[in-house]
Amino acid sequence: MNVAFFFEVLIGGLLAGVMYSLVALGFVLIYKASGVFNFAQGAMVFFAALTFISLVERGLNFWLALVVTLAVMVVLGIAIEKVVLRPLVNQPPITLFMATIGLTFVLEGLSQLVWGSQPHGLELGIQDVPMEWLSQSTGINISQFDIFAAGVAGLLVAVLALFFQYTRIGRALRAVADDHQAALSVGIPLKHIWAIVWSVAGFVALVAGLMWGARNGVQYALTFIALKALPVLILGGFESVLGAIVGGLIIGASEKLAEVYIGPMVGGGIESWFAYVVALLFLLVRPQGLFGEKIIDRV
Amino acid sequence: MSAGLSALDTFPKLLLQHAKVRADLPAMREKHLGIWQTWTWKEVADEVRALACGLAAAGFKRGEHLAIVGDNRPRLYAAMCAAQCLGGIPVPMYQDAVAAEMAFPIQNAEIAFAVAEDQEQVDKLLEILPNCPALKRIYYDDPRGMRHYAQPQLTAYDKLLEEGREALRRDPAFLEAEIAKGSGADTAAMFFTSGTTGSPKGVVLTHHALIDRASAAAELEGLNERDVVLAYLPPAWIGQNVFSYAQPFVTGYCICCPESAETMMTDMREIGPTYYFAPPRVLEALLTQVSIRMEDAGALKRTLYRYFMDLAQRVGGAILEGRPAGFANWLLYRLGDLCVYGPLRNVLGMSRVRLAYTAGEAIGPDLFRFYRSIGINLKQLYGSTETSVFVCIQPNGQVKADTVGPAVRGVELKFTPQRELLIRSPGLFKEYYKNPQATIEAKDAEGWFHTGDAGYVGEDGHLRIIDRVKDVGKLIDATLFAPKYIENKLKFFPYVNEAVVFGDGRDRVCAFVNIDAEAVGNWAEKKNLSYSGYTDLASRDEVYALVRECVEKMNADLALEPELANSQIHRFLILHKMLDADDGELTRTRKVRRGAIAEKYHELVAALYDGRQTVHIEAQVKYEDGRIGTLSADLKVRDAQTFGAAQVQKAA
Amino acid sequence: MSARAHPVGEVVLSVENVSLSFGGVKALQGITFDVREHEVRAIIGPNGAGKSSMLNVINGVYHPQQGTIKLRGREFHDMNSHEAAKMGIARTFQNIALFKGMSVLDNIMTGRNLKMRCNFLQQALWIGPARREEMAHRRAVEEVIDFMEIQHIRKTPVGKLAYGLQKRVELARALAAEPTLLLLDEPMAGMNLEEKQDMCRFVLDVNDHFGTTIVLIEHDMGVVMDISDRVVVLDYGKKIGDGTPDQIRTNQAVIDAYLGVAH
Repeated sequence: MNVAFFFEVLIGGLLAGVMYSLVALGFVLIYKASGVFNFAQGAMVFFAALTFISLVERGLNFWLALVVTLAVMVVLGIAIEKVVLRPLVNQPPITLFMATIGLTFVLEGLSQLVWGSQPHGLELGIQDVPMEWLSQSTGINISQFDIFAAGVAGLLVAVLALFFQYTRIGRALRAVADDHQAALSVGIPLKHIWAIVWSVAGFVALVAGLMWGARNGVQYALTFIALKALPVLILGGFESVLGAIVGGLIIGASEKLAEVYIGPMVGGGIESWFAYVVALLFLLVRPQGLFGEKIIDRV
Repeated sequence: MSAGLSALDTFPKLLLQHAKVRADLPAMREKHLGIWQTWTWKEVADEVRALACGLAAAGFKRGEHLAIVGDNRPRLYAAMCAAQCLGGIPVPMYQDAVAAEMAFPIQNAEIAFAVAEDQEQVDKLLEILPNCPALKRIYYDDPRGMRHYAQPQLTAYDKLLEEGREALRRDPAFLEAEIAKGSGADTAAMFFTSGTTGSPKGVVLTHHALIDRASAAAELEGLNERDVVLAYLPPAWIGQNVFSYAQPFVTGYCICCPESAETMMTDMREIGPTYYFAPPRVLEALLTQVSIRMEDAGALKRTLYRYFMDLAQRVGGAILEGRPAGFANWLLYRLGDLCVYGPLRNVLGMSRVRLAYTAGEAIGPDLFRFYRSIGINLKQLYGSTETSVFVCIQPNGQVKADTVGPAVRGVELKFTPQRELLIRSPGLFKEYYKNPQATIEAKDAEGWFHTGDAGYVGEDGHLRIIDRVKDVGKLIDATLFAPKYIENKLKFFPYVNEAVVFGDGRDRVCAFVNIDAEAVGNWAEKKNLSYSGYTDLASRDEVYALVRECVEKMNADLALEPELANSQIHRFLILHKMLDADDGELTRTRKVRRGAIAEKYHELVAALYDGRQTVHIEAQVKYEDGRIGTLSADLKVRDAQTFGAAQVQKAA
Repeated sequence: MSARAHPVGEVVLSVENVSLSFGGVKALQGITFDVREHEVRAIIGPNGAGKSSMLNVINGVYHPQQGTIKLRGREFHDMNSHEAAKMGIARTFQNIALFKGMSVLDNIMTGRNLKMRCNFLQQALWIGPARREEMAHRRAVEEVIDFMEIQHIRKTPVGKLAYGLQKRVELARALAAEPTLLLLDEPMAGMNLEEKQDMCRFVLDVNDHFGTTIVLIEHDMGVVMDISDRVVVLDYGKKIGDGTPDQIRTNQAVIDAYLGVAH
């Protein structure tokens, strides 16, 4: 076995995993704070990316477009809280889950209604080519863009972690995630917090949308990356930011390695479903996920 | 007599010197409201000056005693030095002593001035006030809860400081002159020894004695101003006081005071001391905690821990001392350092410790090796209050579990025919305060101090201590009986907290055992053994079986030591309560008072020897709030197997 | 003990003719009593007497069908929790309502939520004012930690603490809001004797040190009598006694209620 090639596949897989983590992160944030599995996360990614690219194509400066899109995502977050969540407060989780499915269709429809349905290319100025010095010195090909995306994801996670750990709102978010009733009782405004969480999830969706859009183009298929996040969440646990990251890395690496080393034996093409097999196996061993809260059945 | 300010022969002069040469380096740190506050040497000197002037203004005179009552606090250490500036004598007192215990030193030294840490200490002083009419001023540091106190004796420390600053402004020259009057031959401090018998004795130590010993040890170990010490033991104990007052004043290192006793471990991890001191019981408690945590850990962690601890036991000591251990072992040990020893040192707060001492009582060899094997340079030293601590220290590279090292510079050792150790050293005490009789008994005309410890110096020049002379006894067949040695061996088992063995003048050895509530409780939980409390737990057959296993393991060990083979424990019982200093069963430094226990529980001792299987006991216990209650219980007495040397060797 | 630092003053809270029912169950029937500044006021009664309901009305969790509540001269028909908190009311709960997964420090910090002024953007960017604010609040919280003597568990997740300590942390969180009126719902429930004594000491210390007015609910009469200035006794939703502990001890209706005499 060629060692350099193995590392190339492994690192490539890990970096792809970072991209999955980005999407999974949005799910985790909302699940922690409001106990809702947000089916619309994929649609939000699509909506954010499409809004951004359409603004840029209409001649807006890159940074200005970024700020405007961010503002749109925040408004969207607040609107979701007001229109969708508030009327459904105290409803069972399945109802809220259904509501987010509805939200998916609304967002998909809305974005294509406003911006049209043709695919766009997105250029962030980073080429998806191997880094030359690395290929020359070690023979390992690692995409420059993958490294960039990993850097952005790392930065995002660091910023979120600091925000959650050291600010009042971050603390309030954790408090709400920990215990809704207790949070209410010390005067933490729940509705306010939900709006913030959805806005932050919108921000994460924007970052994920930019990265995925730059790689695969901004098109309707972006909404399906939410499906890639599912095995990551099963692996990492729905409530753990760390889990989303580690889960993403494991899924990314294992599916690339499987494609290269196991794929030929079964005729290839296993990359698209191998992640689900990993997740299923994992469910059998540790249903709460790597870092999820332990499920204890009390009798 | 006086040599002026330049002679550096007293602690105040040393302080002024530090304030000049390392003015902005940290002298003390204290965690207050969650944040470490630093006092530089200059700030400490300023505080001491103001305090001294305040005390002088309040009428504190040369030669007078100042009681210092409280935990490790920078302000209390400052008060010690302030008294010394005026030629006064600080008397640190145990902060966990009950009020009645405080009365004796205060009456004995006719103490008029006291500095107390907080309300708790003030309450105790006020309680004994009727018996101590001389006590006329009590200064308190922490004002919390003090607002309602109207006693005329009470003044806030801050007020004293303020008055002192005022006095200092009025007459800036006064204090320097007072400090200059002091000389090395003056008394620096007085420490009351816990006294296993009779009233405590005030040990009078001069500046010269303390400074000489502190510097001798500092030179040997290369202590310097970059070292850091955590002050966490009672400052009334000479050990703590030397490490957190005498030695920093000699070398200029920084001491750190933890926020409270409960936060000690966290504070230690934050501070990362480089120089550490702990009596064996503290080291033992730490190890017990580690063992419990490892028992609760997952299978992988446990396996790793066991594997690498085995490795450390085999080669850790050699690697620490730079002796050859084989390259493969060295490599494995490095790996272990990464996975186990390093994290373990970090948990213990000892990541940066480059020098650690243990003393005060004999340390179990396994316990001692444990710390050394994980890369902590733990060494033994020998000393006492009367010798300003440092008599013998194990030099780096000559560390052995069963010795306390060769004599430190300036110390002479010799032995009486009864094996009693005699010491002559510049660090010897001047006298027992107002107790010439005791002074003459302890220190003879030629200046030899009679330690009361039995021991000998081996061929390697290292001193070995066996036991107290009066405790070393003989079994009826005239073989040696060294109770403390056996007790210590037994106490190394994590399930055994304390042991008391009997055997002097008897045909065989028997023991009382105190189980370790935490370790055995944990064990019981694992076994699904429910129990209602300590007494219940201690009486369980399962627990007896557990202890019996420990006793028998130790017996097998003893069987291999020809001199002590006859000291194997034949029968034991588990006491219904923890031995407690408040009940007079331990000294304040937690040494077993074997005589007192034998007398108090004579019925139990009788049961050990007359073959009874159970014995009834009714005992008085003092609760923390001072109330007295009675406990009654039926205790079981159990036999343990003993071994012949041949038997053990065959089994092995 | 000399005279108290904060002598009992004017009436700050008065409950007038308050009735509350859930469906057909009458939890409170025409309750009237007042609370004076700086006093320790206890509401006692057997289980199910309506004590917690009374506290929840004051705190704005329940909205009474009838009656008014006057707080510092302002009259309310019903309060809401947020309003109550803004007017300086803080409380603890019978079933501890702490964030189990967060550290003691973070839990207490949430108690200062209403005192923090910086907006979302300032905090998200972690710029000057937000940081200074955080520091100032951290200091205030550290003082509470010092006061409640819980330094050693500062960084421990609350869920890992023993029950008695959790109660103490909850009181600390309430104190962090610097309340002028503190509502304690069975602060000693489920504690052993030593913990109860500690809690009593803390309640008295809070009252003495900060001058906080304290309303506390307890079903254990013994504890309350020692630390309260005045006591209201409820039974089956009705007030059956009101006065100093000495008066309550000799009140026949109260004695009957506690001895279980049939009505």
